[in-house]
Amino acid sequence: MSEFHDDYPQYEFMAQHSEEAGKKARKKLWGVFWIMLVVTIVELIIGFKAHSWGLLNEDRTSTVTLKFIFIGLTIGKAFFIVFEFMHLGHERKWLKWSVLAPYIIFIIYLIGIIVQEANYSKVHKEKMDELIVNQKNALNEAAKTGHHAEGEHPAESHPAEGGEHH
Amino acid sequence: MSSHAVETDSGSAWDGGKSPFNVSYGKLFMWFFLVSDALTFSGLLCAYGFMRHKHPEVWPNPGDVFTHFPFYEGHIPLAYVGLMTLILIMSSVTMVLAVEAGHRKDRQKVIVWMLLTIIGGAMFVGSQAWEWYHFIVGTEHGALRSVFVDGKWVEQTVHGATMTVNEYGLPVFANFFFFITGFHGFHVFSGVIINLVIFINVVKGTYERRGHYEMVEKVGLYWHFVDLVWVFVFTFFYLL
Repeated sequence: MSEFHDDYPQYEFMAQHSEEAGKKARKKLWGVFWIMLVVTIVELIIGFKAHSWGLLNEDRTSTVTLKFIFIGLTIGKAFFIVFEFMHLGHERKWLKWSVLAPYIIFIIYLIGIIVQEANYSKVHKEKMDELIVNQKNALNEAAKTGHHAEGEHPAESHPAEGGEHH
Repeated sequence: MSSHAVETDSGSAWDGGKSPFNVSYGKLFMWFFLVSDALTFSGLLCAYGFMRHKHPEVWPNPGDVFTHFPFYEGHIPLAYVGLMTLILIMSSVTMVLAVEAGHRKDRQKVIVWMLLTIIGGAMFVGSQAWEWYHFIVGTEHGALRSVFVDGKWVEQTVHGATMTVNEYGLPVFANFFFFITGFHGFHVFSGVIINLVIFINVVKGTYERRGHYEMVEKVGLYWHFVDLVWVFVFTFFYLL
């Protein structure tokens, strides 16, 4: 294997740290891991119990509150991954912005355009498959009345009716 | 790890030996590639969000669809997906620990942590394949769907999912599932391969000879990006 050195020799030394700095870094990384674990478990619990906590709409879609909670937690996790795991938080300020600014600008534009311009699709809703609508309504009714239609609904998602099993 | 600020004044900046943002070209390129890939996934997820909200009454509740767990006969919503998320986050942690060990030129630790990362990635790809299998095979009861057969639309009981019809909801639901999780799974798979290549190089001592472990850092960036995308896919596809 031939020897290879970068053209910029100082990189060989700048990207290194001592043992003590390493210990601190590792401690911080494990801390971030625990934060990620807790946040993920919280998200799962909320997802599991969303119905019984009244965070779902009548048609079992998410309420705006629930959406904000999930998206907020996810962006929190994303922040930790990008800034700590990918070390972007330790890079030069303008590298951070060169990476984040184009992405943020584009994603805000993309979401904004979709939200603003997507109303035309409501016209198509009348052409939906009737069967699916009926089956979904039946599913919602079954979930409301606590009847175990297909045995797929966990007990927590039923309204508290004492769990009548017929 | 900290970035050592190399002081430049207008005179010495043109003397060479320095790089913009004080990073090597390889790392800079990886960052810009990740931005473009992030925008690709964002496009896919936005398309998914658009479709999902176009048909809110009939869109399946992911908690009802993804209820399987290996070696368990019952239905636990989203448990296996949660486990997959945990596995990928753990592999991200082991990767960043490998990078940190590389900064101390601790070759043995780099080997250990990278090996764990590769195993975690492989477990994720395997789990995703298992999810696909159960998604495609479907449930016993299936669902009644309109299927185009022999030139007519007939109502049939459909089990599982194909690209044209599925028992869970509209055809586009399965399409998005396959495409988004498949595209992401492809990234995970390629990440595992790339990690394997770099791992072999670490074992061979290439980076000891080179004097720095920056290659581990660069593939670490790619691996963390893969984890980041999964965090978003998990939220938008499985939770919301």
